[in-house]
Amino acid sequence: MNKWLRENLWRHAFAVFMCIFALFPLYLIVLSSFNPGGSLQLTSFVPRVLSMENYKMLFSSPKIPFLSWVKNSLIISSAVALSSVVIGAASAFAFSRLKFKGKKFGIQLLLLVQMFPAILALSAVYVIMERVYSFAPSIGLGSQGGLILVYLGGSMGVNIWLLKGFVDSIPAELDEAAKIDGASPVQTYWLIFIPLATPVLAVVCLLSFIGTFNEFIVARLFLVEMSGRTVAVGLQQFIGGQYATNWGAFAAGSILASIPIVIIFLSLQRYIVNGLTAGSVKG
Amino acid sequence: MSSIFRGNFALFLKIAILAGITAILSLLAQSAFASSQIAIGTYLVIAVVVLNFTYFTKVSIPLKFFAPGILFFIAFVIAPIIFTVIMSTYNYQTGNYISKDAAIEQVLIRGVEPDASQTTFDLVSGRSADGSYAVLVSDIANQKFFISTENELTYVETGQLTFNEYGVAITAPGFSVTSVDELATNDAYSKIRYKYSDGYYIIIEAQGVGAVFRQSIAYDAKTDTMKNIQTGQIYVDNKRGNFALEDSPETMLTPGWRAPIWFENYTKLVTDSRVRTPLIKVFIWTIIFATLTVLSTFAFGLLLALALNRKMRGRRIYRSILILPYAMPSIMSILIWAGMFDSEFGAINNLLHTHIAWFSSATFARAAVLLVNLWLGFPYFYLICSGSLQAIPSELLEAAAIDGANPRQVFRRITLPLLLQILSPLLIASFAFNFNNFNLIYLLTGGGPRNTLDGEVAGATDILISYTYQIAFGRNILDFGLASAISVLIFFLVASISFYGLRKSKVMETFG
Amino acid sequence: MKNRLLKGLALAATMSFAAGLTIVPAQAANEILIWADETRGPNLVKTFAKKSDWVPGSTIKVVSFSSYDALKDALDKASGTTGPDIFVAGNDWVPALAKSGKLAPVVLTAAQKSGFTPSQFFDLSYGGKLYGVPVDVNNVGMVYNTKLVKSAPKSYGDMVKFYLANKTKMGLKAGLCIAGGGMSWGGLSGFSALGAEPYQMNADGSVNYDKSFDPTAFAKNVSTLLLDKKGKSNGFYPATDTGCQDNYLAGKVPFAIIGNWHWRTFAEAGFDMNIQPVPGVKPGTYGKMFGSVSGAFLTSYAEAHGVAVPAKSLLTSFFASTKGQVAYQAEEGRPPAESGAQKSQLVLGGQKAMGAAASLSSIPQIGAFLNTNAGGANYWDSAPAYWTAVLVDGKNPLVEAKKLAAIWKANVAAGKADL
Repeated sequence: MNKWLRENLWRHAFAVFMCIFALFPLYLIVLSSFNPGGSLQLTSFVPRVLSMENYKMLFSSPKIPFLSWVKNSLIISSAVALSSVVIGAASAFAFSRLKFKGKKFGIQLLLLVQMFPAILALSAVYVIMERVYSFAPSIGLGSQGGLILVYLGGSMGVNIWLLKGFVDSIPAELDEAAKIDGASPVQTYWLIFIPLATPVLAVVCLLSFIGTFNEFIVARLFLVEMSGRTVAVGLQQFIGGQYATNWGAFAAGSILASIPIVIIFLSLQRYIVNGLTAGSVKG
Repeated sequence: MSSIFRGNFALFLKIAILAGITAILSLLAQSAFASSQIAIGTYLVIAVVVLNFTYFTKVSIPLKFFAPGILFFIAFVIAPIIFTVIMSTYNYQTGNYISKDAAIEQVLIRGVEPDASQTTFDLVSGRSADGSYAVLVSDIANQKFFISTENELTYVETGQLTFNEYGVAITAPGFSVTSVDELATNDAYSKIRYKYSDGYYIIIEAQGVGAVFRQSIAYDAKTDTMKNIQTGQIYVDNKRGNFALEDSPETMLTPGWRAPIWFENYTKLVTDSRVRTPLIKVFIWTIIFATLTVLSTFAFGLLLALALNRKMRGRRIYRSILILPYAMPSIMSILIWAGMFDSEFGAINNLLHTHIAWFSSATFARAAVLLVNLWLGFPYFYLICSGSLQAIPSELLEAAAIDGANPRQVFRRITLPLLLQILSPLLIASFAFNFNNFNLIYLLTGGGPRNTLDGEVAGATDILISYTYQIAFGRNILDFGLASAISVLIFFLVASISFYGLRKSKVMETFG
Repeated sequence: MKNRLLKGLALAATMSFAAGLTIVPAQAANEILIWADETRGPNLVKTFAKKSDWVPGSTIKVVSFSSYDALKDALDKASGTTGPDIFVAGNDWVPALAKSGKLAPVVLTAAQKSGFTPSQFFDLSYGGKLYGVPVDVNNVGMVYNTKLVKSAPKSYGDMVKFYLANKTKMGLKAGLCIAGGGMSWGGLSGFSALGAEPYQMNADGSVNYDKSFDPTAFAKNVSTLLLDKKGKSNGFYPATDTGCQDNYLAGKVPFAIIGNWHWRTFAEAGFDMNIQPVPGVKPGTYGKMFGSVSGAFLTSYAEAHGVAVPAKSLLTSFFASTKGQVAYQAEEGRPPAESGAQKSQLVLGGQKAMGAAASLSSIPQIGAFLNTNAGGANYWDSAPAYWTAVLVDGKNPLVEAKKLAAIWKANVAAGKADL
């Protein structure tokens, strides 16, 4: 047995095993998407028929405004991702760099609140947005604007917490130098911190985007108009139906909807790894 | 460059943005007050004041960074949590859902009874000669016709009327017919109780149809009681959100309202064995589930990171594939897994040539949940571990190797402790996340299997949050008050576990 | 100085901006708002697109939720402002929603009532008051694959015999499976054919409170027909419904129970539609099925929105009328509930065959009995649990049947108060 084998065989064997584990369900999704019967293709691992029917349906059926769903998801997710990073980064910066009374309390509160089971608080959010609807329908219940507000508010804690970790990892020497030069905290923030933090901000932005893109429990309550739905809600109705389920269409739609995310993820994987680790690894 | 942030242009920009935000928020506040949403209006006014003070004065520099975040945080995170905590002290469940005022109104609407023959009439809505709301009623069976207002009933001779093809009177002297458009937009006419006889009156049931009723339940605001007018029975507020008969408290009027019962929902958690027993069982499984998930995902992630922690052929491809479960929408993958575990036609049984009913046996269902969560979670730890491994200073490892430690010893004595120290906040965060991993349980097993024939209410894979969701939303009979109490309990449990963990790992020190 | 000037300007700008915007009303005063699920909603939209003046002067808006669950979720959370005036759904939510004050009572004239049977109103009532009108009938039927099975089975035993004889030869995966309605709702026939029912009905359509099912006789049938000599499942009746439709269509299962809403799918797959109820143990008897009605319900929000009378008018002029049901079912394809609409020429053959199966052996779906947890579990959870216990876990069919009987008996006793 040569040295290469001894040192590398187990590595490859284990990696291949985990790759098969990772790919197995994904393979079945792809298989189902080509199955015209509309059921989950689980009985055999070799496709019986290859049909594009499910894909065609998504684009040709007047009942299924797939492209508007994608558009809605993109609009909502981008709006939430961008605004939550803009608002969250400022707070994270303050938590990380500024000294003020009640800072420790603030951080602890932020951490604690995230541990409250949010799904229970959903009822209250619903009632609040119902009331908002009564005087401002375009940002209340049933509107994309309202949904964006709810996501933005709901993600605030997590994002600030995540961003704070990243900010902590950026060396403080630079902004201390700026301080000596007479820059105010606001100037330090814009001139020194933001340029430095752009890569991490992009990662948080991406994660927030994906999280929003996937959400359906809140979205299905908010977006009831057929053409106003998000992809997650729109696709979920194929299988969440009481009377008929169409796994094929669900699989095809999911594949199409997740391709862009997977591509972004794969092309940014280096940054994502750094970003995810940055929160914990300091200096 | 820096001039953008100083000088008149910056000031102008700041003023323009703030003015815009102020304008929008003030407008919203104004309309909120106009639609009597006082709480929201007040909050918006406070927001306007806080924003303007923060950015136009030098009250506090940190607040300049925090203000927008805090405002969102309070509105959408803190306020709902406070609401939930308050509701945990209420009898808030199916049958006791609305406010007391609304409940009284509903009881009165339902507290009517039809006459013995359940008479209905064809009628036409309009106004009487003096302009008050009136109906022109056709009692076709008896060939009697009359105009009725709230206080008066006047019979009309057949000769003075005109009829449609069904024999319904449509015009009468002195009676002006209301147009359909007005009927559709103005509901005042439908709230009138038009006079009939002996305490009975006519209400408009649908356009052109009236039904004969009398009130059988009346409310006495002074004593806060409901009285059955015909039998004289008195229903009193039972302090639990219902009007009930004094001598037989089981007889209640519906609907009830949500009423404060203080700590009863909490004491139930301890004293009521039907609540307590499943709760303890679920709690234990939740801890096991979260712990095993963190351990397994971390172990596999770390092992992968170690395996791929050197330049080798195919590393990029491996990484691209291994990252896929993390990048795929999790709803999709969980549902596919659920289908794969099906006992009759599932892919797993097909692959293993077994006939295991995965989701009907507690052990197999738990194994399946852990396996799926491993699939979902290992890429995250793989990514993090591989990043962190590179962050460990190589001098440390080299020094150890020179000292004669073999690779295994280096790993156990240096790499692992360092990694654990670096990653402990993320491990704790992962624990807290999985403690409340609702989507996985809800979509994969729905908490099952439940041995319902033996009276089990909690399923074998139910974790606290999915169990709570069942109580609050998932059944036909919902108990939001109890569910709120459980979530407050969950909150304290997770918070103390996480705080203990954080303190141990000394992360808290950096908070100062 | 300059700062103060700018601030003054900002304030002025703000005020003028605020004054320039106006407020949009939430709901038009003459609009009737209907909530429905993902299949009924779009079909209602189509129906109203063809004819919309069912209530003179009013406009109708339909909101379709993405699933039945989402609709229920929203109804549970809705507190007034945005709630619907009418919603269309199955009848099993009536007791809970009525109790919580979310439904408002309706009164029908004798003529309007005459189009329906008393048991249909039974399903939509709570505490002696009616909360909606019956719209369509939901039931199941058993179909068999005529390429495999040559003649209609006369009894349950016939089907089991066929399955056991041809299991290996034809590569059968199961004998009878549930392709529509799930193991609890669609699976009632599976219980009833062997002698178990959650409640017993008299011939006149009233509930028979004196009788409940005999666990001993039922368990004996389960043992002889569904279990082998060792007490394990013989594979005839699977404990889950997943994949049933696929396997039936692939010819791997000879008998399947399907819902009346998707007979078209089976017909389009090229099957001769032989629809009948599930045959009982004795030839000539049939397993009971739920012949439940969906309803259009009036909410208490209609009053708050000022459209209570128009909404009630829509219930009677459209949802409960012959013309309305014919128009709606032309899109929806279920058997209509109203007798005049049932006779209409426009109703399709499959719809009628399903209706015929229902009239042979259906019982009303009484939410008060089925939804309560009084006996320790409701019908929906306890029914599939029996099959799991016996067919999967190999537990004693009699012991489990006794538990089931006790639970159902307690539920009926508790539900009696809610009727």
